[in-house]
Amino acid sequence: MILQHFEDQESGIMNAIKKNPESASPRKKLALETARLGKRLYSNADDLVWAGPLVPFDLLNAMEVTPCFAEFIASILVSTDAGPLFFENAEQAGYASDTCGYHRMLMGSALKGMIPTPKLLISAMSPCTGGLAAMENLARVFKKDLFILHIPQKESDHGVRILANHIRNMAESVSSHTGKVLDKDRLRKAMENTNKTRDILSNIYKLAQQVPSPVNGRDLSNFGIVLPLFFGTEVGIEIAQSFYDELKSRIKANRSGVPGERIRLMWLQNRIQFKNNLVKMLEKEFNASIVIDELNVITWDPIDPEDPYIGLARRSISSPLNGTVERRVKQIVKLAEAYKIDGAINPCHWGCRQGTGARGLIDSSMKEIGVPVLNLEVDCVDPRNFAEGQLITRIEAFMEMIESRPSPW
Amino acid sequence: MIVAGVDIGSLSGETVILSDDKILSYSIVRTGADSALTAKKATDEALKNADISFEDIDYTIATGYGRVIVPFANENITEISCHAKGANYLFPTVRTILDMGGQDCKAIRCNEKGKVTNFAMNDKCAAGTGRFCEVMADVLGIALEDIGKTSLEAKKDAMISSACAVFAKSEAVSLLRSGVPKSEILSGVHEAIASRVFALLQRVGIEGDFVISGGIAKNIGVIKKVAEKVGLKPLISEEPQIVGALGAALFAKERYKKG
Repeated sequence: MILQHFEDQESGIMNAIKKNPESASPRKKLALETARLGKRLYSNADDLVWAGPLVPFDLLNAMEVTPCFAEFIASILVSTDAGPLFFENAEQAGYASDTCGYHRMLMGSALKGMIPTPKLLISAMSPCTGGLAAMENLARVFKKDLFILHIPQKESDHGVRILANHIRNMAESVSSHTGKVLDKDRLRKAMENTNKTRDILSNIYKLAQQVPSPVNGRDLSNFGIVLPLFFGTEVGIEIAQSFYDELKSRIKANRSGVPGERIRLMWLQNRIQFKNNLVKMLEKEFNASIVIDELNVITWDPIDPEDPYIGLARRSISSPLNGTVERRVKQIVKLAEAYKIDGAINPCHWGCRQGTGARGLIDSSMKEIGVPVLNLEVDCVDPRNFAEGQLITRIEAFMEMIESRPSPW
Repeated sequence: MIVAGVDIGSLSGETVILSDDKILSYSIVRTGADSALTAKKATDEALKNADISFEDIDYTIATGYGRVIVPFANENITEISCHAKGANYLFPTVRTILDMGGQDCKAIRCNEKGKVTNFAMNDKCAAGTGRFCEVMADVLGIALEDIGKTSLEAKKDAMISSACAVFAKSEAVSLLRSGVPKSEILSGVHEAIASRVFALLQRVGIEGDFVISGGIAKNIGVIKKVAEKVGLKPLISEEPQIVGALGAALFAKERYKKG
């Protein structure tokens, strides 16, 4: 059933582009490649490894195994017709309904046999213990081994060396479970690809900072969290390049992402993963654009292809999903200043202690630079808990408040 | 210039008609299943009270939960902005507003012009709202308008540990069975509501003057508990239920003038 979903998605996008080549867009390109990844995941043709979002996917891509992070597949499954059933399965099996929707979705679908069996599971201690627990549960369901990557909270030379060794151990574990050997040349090439993608991403984010911004509220949603799945590959470079070209052409044509952009917003943590009208409403009613998502950021230096483990370790440690709240808050403030935002929306995803624990600290730090934050109460994954009317009132009131005050910049 | 503000909430609908800066009339009706009909009913009543016809109204702004389905409104604005505007008209020194409506509870901070500078709303929980009070009045078999007065007869508060309407209802039933007086249960319920809304107020920061609006402002038991926690005497208008509609009417006046 899920394989069919990805096949339909792939053929649907390809047919649409064939019919109307002008409809090709970077967003479609990304959707096409994720559909292809989904097909690989569900076709049993590849050696599959389930991994947490901070695991270096480029290294796994270099080993020619198919990596995927659990939250990604949960966000795909929620958009299928069977989505609500999977939540019910998880709850019937005893998973509390107020735990993270990503993990409930994952467990519910795994218990129904809708998650393909991996050769190995890899989880990290970050970003959350809920994710780790879900991976432990998955490993039990699949009767497969779980490799746990210990990511230090702070960046220090000692911590980086430890994690670098640990990533090396991880690669060995993947080898022993899949029979795939990590070829030095392929690893070097993967790192070169990663660096190219990194540079393009960095340029994309610089373009997005322009006032008015060439991005609309949908262009770069989930971008910083999904694109790493393609790190180390040519496809990753192509996707990033298509976004860069599109934004560049919009700037050249003097076209902003949201026509007549009046309000610039930041979206904290993760987007709402099921269909909803909130972003379109922001654009249509308030000419408001989400110009920056918290996770759309490059926090790491290019990786040395000759000594990749140190660079990979530094990247994982520096991720916005890892480390202290203090560091996260500083990063958010830095982004707010760079993108000159008028306000930030924090969905406060239900059941997410990692994401919502910092709520008060984010509010007060943003207040210091004159940027208001709207805290919502949204289950970003489970549409059964979605009360759109209530959210619209809060968001509209927030926009009215922003419109009636001077810009912080 | 005659303008109207229509506030369609989950439990009641209100219309305020302004002639320039003067309130000509207002109405409060119970919200039915059809919000458009409620808006019409409320507006017809206000028109009748003002002895004018619908054609006399130059501009209308709708607010509240049902604001998007008021067919005759020129525009709609959220109840958060409207409550701040309305409260500022009634009490120009207001800086903090607590609006306790039928299904939402809002803590609002505003400036000297009545513009919202910060706000926080209850989450999906019904505590601190009219619906919560209705549920409790129903369980205890006391008329909604009498629960405030009854609660003041209590010598102490019964412990209502949950602010969830469903759990609190069960707790109230169980306390009743154990022979706890209704006044003490209600006082406990009001204490739970006050704690909840106080937390909301603290999120935006409390600065005087402090206004309470919305239907629950008529519940003297809740008001007393909230005032104790906040440490400020709340200002309450003669008819606290129309503050949102009044704000909408004031916006209508501004927008009409702007053309």
